[in-house]
This record gives sequence, C-alpha cells and structure tokens, in this order.
Amino acid sequence: MASSDSPPPPIASRKVVVHLRATGDAPILKQAKFKIAGTDKFSKVIDFLRRQLHRETLFVYVNSAFSPSPDQLVNDLYDNFGFDGKLVVNYASSMAWG
Amino acid sequence: MIGVELLSKRLYMMLLSTDYVFVLILAPRIGYLPLLSSQLKPFFCGALPPGVDTIWFEYKGLPLKWYIPTGVLFDLLCAEPERPWNLTVHFRGYPGNILIPCDGEDSVKWSYINSLKEAAYIIHGSSKNVMNMSHPDQVELWRSVMNGKLELYNRISSKLKLGILGDEFSARSNPSSLKSQQSVNETEATAAPKASRIPVRLYLWTIDDDFDDLEAAPNFDSWDQISYINRPVEINGEGKYFTLLDAVKSILPELYPDSSNTIKAEIKKEEITEETTVESVETESTSGHPVIKLLRIQGIKPKMDIPFSWVVNNLMNPDYFLHICLYIKAPKPISP
Repeated sequence: MASSDSPPPPIASRKVVVHLRATGDAPILKQAKFKIAGTDKFSKVIDFLRRQLHRETLFVYVNSAFSPSPDQLVNDLYDNFGFDGKLVVNYASSMAWG
Repeated sequence: MIGVELLSKRLYMMLLSTDYVFVLILAPRIGYLPLLSSQLKPFFCGALPPGVDTIWFEYKGLPLKWYIPTGVLFDLLCAEPERPWNLTVHFRGYPGNILIPCDGEDSVKWSYINSLKEAAYIIHGSSKNVMNMSHPDQVELWRSVMNGKLELYNRISSKLKLGILGDEFSARSNPSSLKSQQSVNETEATAAPKASRIPVRLYLWTIDDDFDDLEAAPNFDSWDQISYINRPVEINGEGKYFTLLDAVKSILPELYPDSSNTIKAEIKKEEITEETTVESVETESTSGHPVIKLLRIQGIKPKMDIPFSWVVNNLMNPDYFLHICLYIKAPKPISP
C-alpha cells in the first residue's frame, strides 16, 4: 500500500516502476523492472508480457493477489497497490491465485 | 422521480438481436450482463446458426463492458434514463479489440472476486481476508450476488470484516441492520488507524466548454470518451463533516486544485523543482471552475452536500466499491 505521505495526485508525466515477477513455471524475464507512463493502462503491461513470453494465455496479478481489469490506469494501480516505489506484477502461465 | 429510482432495483430492458427478435426482460441493477445469457438464449436460439456463441451487448453502437455492473452502465450511458433500455444482443462477432474475453459466468465471478480483493487491499492493505475465505463461503457469496439475496450476502460478507465506516447517520435511522456491522467495525477500529480508505470507481465524462445542454448529450461511441478512475477517498475520521462533494474533489485534484489536495500539490512543488507536473495543476486552476452536470450512483442523483459516509454505507456495490457516474463540465478534459 502506498504510504500516506507518498505523492497522491497522479501526475501527467509520472513514470511508474513495474517489477515483473514470474510465478510457478512461467519463464523469468532478463529485465524484470521497467518504467511505464502512469497514464498508460494496465493492458499495456499485459501486452508487453504477452509479447515477451510469446504466450496468448497469461495470468497477470498485482501483489500476488488479484488481477485488475486491463483498463485501469497504471497511476491508479500504483497509488492503490504500489509500495517501495514500485508496482509488483506477478505473471503465471496458469491460474495462480483464484 | 428519485423515489421511483430507489424502488426499481431492476432495469427494464428491451433486447433486440441482430435478427430482429425482440425480448423484454428485467435485469438486476446489481448484476452483470452476461449473467442474463441463460434467460435470453431460449428466445434467440431458433435464429442462431450452428457454432459457438459468445454473448455480448451493444447500446447505440457501443459494445458494453461486461464487468461493469448493469446499473452503472445504464446510469453512465443514459443521461436521460431510457425506459425500457434498448440494447442489442449479439451472439457472434465478439469485439475482442474492445472487450476483454468473457467465458460466461466463470469470467464474471472471477472478475467480481478480483474486484473484492482489490477493495479489501485498499481498505486493509491486504487481500488476505478474501483470499482466505473458505470455498463454500466464496460460492455462497457469489450466489448471493448473482441472485440478489441481500440477507445471505450480509451474512457472508460480514465475515470479511470489510466494514468501512462508522456512520452515525445510518446507524441512528436503521439500527437493526447496521448495528451488527457496526460492532464488527468497532473491534476492527481499535487496532486499525482512524483513517478510512473508501474504494471508489469513478466513470467520468468531461464535457468541454462549448457544450451546455445535457439533453443533447451525444451518444458515446467509444470508451475513450470516458475516463475510468480508481482512486480511494480518504476520510480521516476526525469527525469533520465530509460531504459527497468533498469526496469528488479529493478524487479529482486536477479539477479541484483548491481543495485540500492543493496543499499536497504544493509540497510536491517544493520537493521536485523542475517538474512539469505542477504546471498542469496551475493551468487548470486559472481557467475556471468545473461544474458538475450529473452525478449518479445506483440510479440516484444525490445532493452533493450529503454525508459521504451515508453514501458509502448505503449505495456501495457488493464488490465494496462505490461506483460513481459523473458528467463534469470543465475547461479541459483530463487525460486520458
């Protein structure tokens, strides 16, 4: 959770650090951390993973807990669920958390 | 008018298939469109060619996002409520570029549980309560949502201990149903800090300056016209009278730079010197005040000065999110 003193108003130019973590037997990426514009939608993260892993079916989670809908903004996800300056995104090739 | 809206927890919908079969049904506001499939199929199956059916719905050319509760879609897309609501139902040609895939009830359930986990995380900083739910409880909870069984829903959902706000207004007027929840809240509250975070999903249509007449509101032909904003509202529990308007302002600091968030924006300014970020806040503030043209929650247009806690406790959806539909007239559409 973003602590209360972290900057809340989502900012047009902000970049969010996304930390990608493989779960189960999903392949590990060479580059696990990357920056994405906060105004992008979560679908961009999902598409990126699909392309990197060459998989159509992929389960993508935030904080090992839930799958947000692809049209949520990365900024909102970071403000709601980010911590330590990053948003943790887990990916798996089969359902990991039901 | 509001009375009628309050009583009608169901929407009359007129459904039309591409083969021009008309069906008139009632759909729960708190529900999801694909769940109507079993009710609808019998009417249309005669007209369908053999093949795999994937049901989807369209309103005036706009494919409807199935994971948004039906009542929210109606409130959002019909500025002037249309009765019955004329939708077109499709069984083929799923617009996969616009809608995320839907595999029937399982997908809807999965989406609901995910939403619930998100809400739990926002409220408690963890989704554990939902994830540790027993399987039978999860099944029952979903069934209660699907069938609109409030008592069953209250019984199961209270185990999640997601009660959010002490609300003296509702507690006084409705002691029976809220007392039990209230006591749960209080035990929680002793451990938790006083501040509460309320999960909110805001569907925002920003009208630009040259547009005035709501009746002449254009049809939405793309979801890009609507900003989907997921920002919690923080209530600091200091007994300050916090209204619905205060909540809207806190969600949209870009539009209301004068609200308490300005302070945060200014602090930010000192921290980061060269940022373009503060500029955007400032240009907004000089170019006129935003005007709320329409705010609708659960079919109701509440007054903006009612207590936000009342709104949350009474108008929240079963996923613990408050879904707000908002048309706002502002100088500049906020991105994206």
